[in-house]
Amino acid sequence: MKKGTVFILSVMLVFSLILAGCSQNGNVKAEPTQAASVNEQKESESSVKPVTLSITWWGSQTRHDYTAKLLEMYSEKYPHITFDATPSGWDGYFEKLAAQAAGNIMPDIVQMDNLYIATYTKNNSISDLYPFVSDKILDLSDVPESIVKTGEIDGKLTGAVLSVTALTVPYNPDVFAEAGVPEPTSDWTWEDFEEAMITIKEKTGKYGYASDVWTDTNLLTYWIRQHGASLYSADGTKLGYEDDQIFVDFLNMIYRLTKAGAMPTNDEWLQIATTGKEARPVVTGDGGAMFEWANFGVIVEAVNPNIKLAVPPYADNGTKALWIKPGMFFSIAESSSNKEEAARFINWFINDIDANKVINAERGIPVANKVKEALKPQLTKQQQAMFDYLDLVANEHAGPVSPPEPPGTAEVTKAMADQINLVLYDKKTPEQAAVDFRKAANEILARNAQN
Amino acid sequence: MRRLGQSGKNTAENITGYILIFPWLFGFLLLYLVPMVSSVYFSFTNYNLLNEPKFIGLENYRRMLFNDQTFWKSLGVTFYYVFALVPLRLIFALFIAMLLNTKMKFLGVYRTLYYIPSIVGGSVAVSIVWRQMFGNNGVLMSLLKLIGINQEVSFIGNPATAIWTIILLGVWQFGSSMLIFLAALKQIPQSLYESAMIDGANSWQKFIRITLPMLTPIIFFNLVLQTINGFRAFTESFIVTQGGPLDSTLLYVLYLYRRAFTYFDMGYSCALAWVLVGIIALLTLLIFKSQTAWVYYESKE
Repeated sequence: MKKGTVFILSVMLVFSLILAGCSQNGNVKAEPTQAASVNEQKESESSVKPVTLSITWWGSQTRHDYTAKLLEMYSEKYPHITFDATPSGWDGYFEKLAAQAAGNIMPDIVQMDNLYIATYTKNNSISDLYPFVSDKILDLSDVPESIVKTGEIDGKLTGAVLSVTALTVPYNPDVFAEAGVPEPTSDWTWEDFEEAMITIKEKTGKYGYASDVWTDTNLLTYWIRQHGASLYSADGTKLGYEDDQIFVDFLNMIYRLTKAGAMPTNDEWLQIATTGKEARPVVTGDGGAMFEWANFGVIVEAVNPNIKLAVPPYADNGTKALWIKPGMFFSIAESSSNKEEAARFINWFINDIDANKVINAERGIPVANKVKEALKPQLTKQQQAMFDYLDLVANEHAGPVSPPEPPGTAEVTKAMADQINLVLYDKKTPEQAAVDFRKAANEILARNAQN
Repeated sequence: MRRLGQSGKNTAENITGYILIFPWLFGFLLLYLVPMVSSVYFSFTNYNLLNEPKFIGLENYRRMLFNDQTFWKSLGVTFYYVFALVPLRLIFALFIAMLLNTKMKFLGVYRTLYYIPSIVGGSVAVSIVWRQMFGNNGVLMSLLKLIGINQEVSFIGNPATAIWTIILLGVWQFGSSMLIFLAALKQIPQSLYESAMIDGANSWQKFIRITLPMLTPIIFFNLVLQTINGFRAFTESFIVTQGGPLDSTLLYVLYLYRRAFTYFDMGYSCALAWVLVGIIALLTLLIFKSQTAWVYYESKE
């Protein structure tokens, strides 16, 4: 019967299409790691239930490569653990994580940043690690308490801090020498800084300050702290500084540097920003100095091992404005069903000496004291410089710890960038920009605080 | 007496039909209809992806219309973009289609070559190349230097010209419109041209009096399609300029994306999305209503 045949054939066609679609779920995502399922054979040996931990982190290719090795090491040690790793670059990492959080499919272990930890904690996306600490599964006894507490929000330890870092001015001594500018000292001021940057431009035609100031609020935060205030108020609902002149002075300095050609314009920075950190002007010898985190020298060591780290310039009032920033955390997703195994892994990551020999302080200064001691013999020149710099900052230049960023920080950053660029494009006076920034930032912070 | 066999046959055919389209229907419901309806709900809430959506009524829409300079800026930029892009693209498409509407050697090759930008143009890779080309150290700056024009700021870095690099990228992708025009051109009966020639018409008159009027249905179709697509442009702006400088290339969908995924302002982005739907619907309606004034349908005669 022709009708029946058509009917049956159409049903078969439909179901084969559905099955074809379903079978693609088995594909493993493209990953730059070899750690995926190397240890299937070993599972049959142990009687422990096999566990797959999903993990994600941001970083450069170097970080992806050695972290993959670490995951393999851990899987060899504990054969019942396999990993499903989905690393990426910094760009887009938190967008992806937010989407996963919404769907309750966050990876078990996520690398978390100071910028977002408050938001994720407030929304119960990451779990409290204190229970694991008291059960000694996550052993943080070797980490200084003030550093452990950087991961504590609302009484919950939602981030196990992996490393610390501090703001620094990496500079290229060859460029300084070429321009005949003396290298920065530990107590150089913003006047010295400006003079140095402009002289480099005049004498060599290269950028003095080869970076931007609007991608994040770190430089502005440092500047404001030098005036005894902070960027955000303690409760995070408005700006933390009262005097708009602080921001005006900041804008004026940026304006002078840009107009002198000592700093890239928005347009030029757009081009520079497309390159990786290893190709920034300071590294390639086309720029004098920049602002970065203290592990910058280590990151670019392979390309240029001569970068030196300077303490950021002081304001005339001599206030110590640096702070020890938690570099990054590992957090455990609240939706994870393997929290204990995840905590064990984090414990290993922080405390294990062999693991940290592989990590080699690429993620910043390790937090466990024993680890720091054990790493000393194998440190390269740049790593030793980074360790020394952090000690210098902690002992001589650091002010109080900065609280985690409040929700809405991304929008405030954009508002700041907008105002800075309007001034640089000569569309606004710095005074007007300071007023507009305050208005925009307060509105943003107030709105986000209601969430 | 009712013919039972007849109604049975209809039902069987209907069921077969539904089964055949079931995969699409399933996907449509799950990935399209359900999210669409939920986004209407979300547009009335405060939702940052991590918390529970909080109902706040019309607050998102109020903020959008009265408290959000960037919304108006992005709307202005998008309108500018569409009103520049669509006519230019259609004109180029028609022009090239007419050139290709002859018997020449390698016609197929030219057609393919002109169509390729349409396929690859909307991609991330091409946008990155575009950014390099028009950027500070790019090809265009070097070429200009060669002929003695020394630009301070690249085209991408200049708030006045950045939008035109994006428009140019859009116009470059005229291939799909061109193919449709080409097909339509071939439909115009030769007899019309022959009788015009006998009457002593020159090429321009032939174009204005015959080609254009006969093409108006296709122009109409392309106009609607390209306008709708123009409002949805995202990749070009996202990759080439990231909406800068000074938000001069902040296309609406890019702003929507930023609100959603950088600021986690989900409810607000849903509101933005529905406003865009409303705007596109309104414009499309206007174009449809204007049909009677300028579109000539042969079949209506």
